[in-house]
Amino acid sequence: MNGEKSRVNISRREFLGLSALGLGISLAGARPAVAASRAAAPDEVAILYDPVKCVGCKACQMACKRWNKLPNESTDPLGIYESPRGLSAITWNIIKLRRTDVGWHFFNYQCMHCTDAACVEVCPTGALHHDPMGFVALDRDLCNGCGYCTQFCPYGVPHLQVENALTGAAKSAKCTFCQDRLRAGIGGPSCAEVCPVGALQWGKRGELLEKARARVAELQAKGMNARIYGENEAGGLHRLSILLDEPEQYGLPSVPKTPGLARFWQRVVQPLGNVAFGAALAGILGVFLFVRRKIRMEEVR
Amino acid sequence: MTVQLRGRAEAVTIQWIPKYTFLERLGHWLHTATFVPLALTGMVLYFPFLRPLAQGEAGEFFRLVHRVAAVIFGLLPIVYYIFQPRRLLLHIREFLPRKEDIGWLKAAPAYYLLGKHEVMPPQGRFNAGEKLNGLVMMVTWAVFGLTGIPMWFGKGVIPPELFRWLVVFHDLAMIVAVCMFLVHLYLAVAHPLMWAGLVSMRFGVTSAEYAAEHHAKWYYGPKRAMEIWEEKKREAAHH
Repeated sequence: MNGEKSRVNISRREFLGLSALGLGISLAGARPAVAASRAAAPDEVAILYDPVKCVGCKACQMACKRWNKLPNESTDPLGIYESPRGLSAITWNIIKLRRTDVGWHFFNYQCMHCTDAACVEVCPTGALHHDPMGFVALDRDLCNGCGYCTQFCPYGVPHLQVENALTGAAKSAKCTFCQDRLRAGIGGPSCAEVCPVGALQWGKRGELLEKARARVAELQAKGMNARIYGENEAGGLHRLSILLDEPEQYGLPSVPKTPGLARFWQRVVQPLGNVAFGAALAGILGVFLFVRRKIRMEEVR
Repeated sequence: MTVQLRGRAEAVTIQWIPKYTFLERLGHWLHTATFVPLALTGMVLYFPFLRPLAQGEAGEFFRLVHRVAAVIFGLLPIVYYIFQPRRLLLHIREFLPRKEDIGWLKAAPAYYLLGKHEVMPPQGRFNAGEKLNGLVMMVTWAVFGLTGIPMWFGKGVIPPELFRWLVVFHDLAMIVAVCMFLVHLYLAVAHPLMWAGLVSMRFGVTSAEYAAEHHAKWYYGPKRAMEIWEEKKREAAHH
């Protein structure tokens, strides 16, 4: 057998070729590196919400519906102020009511436009992406309705507009910061443009943070437990809020973040899967080359 | 290019014996015909370089294909065993781990890489490798169903925390099943020693000589197969 050694074994060149193939397949599936949590820039756009100024008129909710051509949503008349109950595929902006010992509090909910946005990270189509202006934009033509965004958002903001539950025809829907208005230079988001009392304002994020800090100092001087929400949360939100209580009291997470499972899934499970595919294919090809020389079909019974 | 053929130039008569029933083969090929499109359409969401295929209407179309194939893939074994309940018992018996599986593992490198079929201890109708393939397909079939059905119907019904785990386990099952499938495909299509496999799965029959050599426990029955095996070992020790 010694004389035949070079004939029956895998040559070094072939071994290197196979290794390169396996490595190539392992890396071909790799995800483009995500920029390590960048901070929101001060010249990006943002919305600031001040619940102390808010009178709960819902003009923002109406303006959102009108500009984005969102249909009505019916609610059971159960004697509550909230209508509809919460954000949905056709309600992207909503005022909710909280009753506390001190009185009635309004709070506006919409997309938080995170810098570290879980929805952008898990979106397999690029339909959800960061606009250079800072907000999280949604290109509905690219969306295929997989719904990952609806399950990974720490705020539960995106909702699926389901056209057919059986076939899965659906589109993701959420507040887009009125991306069409900003891109066309018409103005800011309709909710902030329409607000009659200045509870919702829009502008450069840096300037709004200055305003928010001054406002928090003012409210604290009046004895209120005021704070800013969104300055550093999830890499910095582009919807800043002034809170008068713990975030949890508003149904907001203190430490919103991309669910660890999203990172485990996309940065551990999937790369390991790619390595498995690469190893399997390179291994099979290596065995194929080896066996082709070693086993002669004429001798097989 | 000339091909030098060795071996005796005689007329060969192959005695064919039945190996798989018609429904077993139909089940196998329906499984293949649904597994492959399921894997391909699922990978559209898995590989970032396939992103253009995931976008918009293309992505919606592939999901529709995925769902239609998933229904057939999911119902197939259930319908099969409803109509063939005795095959269920037979398959469970055939696929349970046995002592000869360890023998298969020890002999596998020489058997598969060097073609030394004489070192392989007697195997049943399915050898240990085929049993492994079958078990992986059964387990991943269950995982695909248990994770896929709630992902289809459970959005907004089940907690998001649970949904996230389902996505991860659906992917894990896919990785395991696709790797197993690639090995299975190579052995069935390209491995010289396994030449009878594809014939059996196509026509339902196998060569009696091949069965005696590669599936002795099934061909002779466990007792007689072991006697022959011991006899052969004794002979080899003499020489």
